[in-house]
Amino acid sequence: MQISTEELEGGVTRVVLDGRLDIAGSQAIDLKMNVIAGTKKAVLVDMQKVSFIGSMGLRTLVAPAQAIRGRGGKMVLFGPTEMVESVLKSSAIDTLIPIHHDFQGAVAALR
Amino acid sequence: MDSHDANTDRECLTLESKLSEIARVPPWLESLAALHSIPSRTQFAMDLCLEEVLSNIIRHGYGGESSHEIVIRYQNHRNGFFTFVVEDHAPLFNPLTVPCPPVPRALEDISGGGQGIRLLKQSADAIEHEPMSNGNRLTISFVAPGSSLAAPCVSQS
Repeated sequence: MQISTEELEGGVTRVVLDGRLDIAGSQAIDLKMNVIAGTKKAVLVDMQKVSFIGSMGLRTLVAPAQAIRGRGGKMVLFGPTEMVESVLKSSAIDTLIPIHHDFQGAVAALR
Repeated sequence: MDSHDANTDRECLTLESKLSEIARVPPWLESLAALHSIPSRTQFAMDLCLEEVLSNIIRHGYGGESSHEIVIRYQNHRNGFFTFVVEDHAPLFNPLTVPCPPVPRALEDISGGGQGIRLLKQSADAIEHEPMSNGNRLTISFVAPGSSLAAPCVSQS
């Protein structure tokens, strides 16, 4: 799992994930996700290139989302594939962390 | 199932009880999918279920000890029906008896684990646990979308 960040206009941070959010993938990015959660308040997690997500991957998304919200910020998920989104829905994560398939809509939700 | 049944193909993968070993499963599934024409959606469900089952066995069943083995046997029963049998030598544990955590109503309500069990139960078409004299056998079955077959009637809570 690879992670990169990009600062967008309006104070939005785009976090791009590429790979599997399995146990190994989650461990690979947990630290950086926690740093982002502690320093950014408007985070768009770009999941277009996430090919798999398991329960550990869900934790890797939930923990930063909780931290960001606790600091008065917002986090959204952008562009998960159909199968990845089905996992998010199975665990009801989609009702707690908004999912957007339109990039402009995802950014607007953070402003 | 008779090992000489011409309608069943079998494959086997033996893992050490280390979390890093779980990374061997996805490429194995890729090869099975190519060999047996497993649809991508079904492959994803298999990947998810095995990740959750193996992670539980390693972390909880074996308590993180790396000196044990887990054996995964794959059976392709043809006609769109696939089965994985996972055997360990950990203390008796039936994941089907573990209740799923309540569906969270707020982000702050999510804590700890339990999501793995929920994903396992929702992703497999059938799951059966059998206690063995020295461990556990978990049979996880999948029916490919569009198949005319239904998974066998096995216990799933």
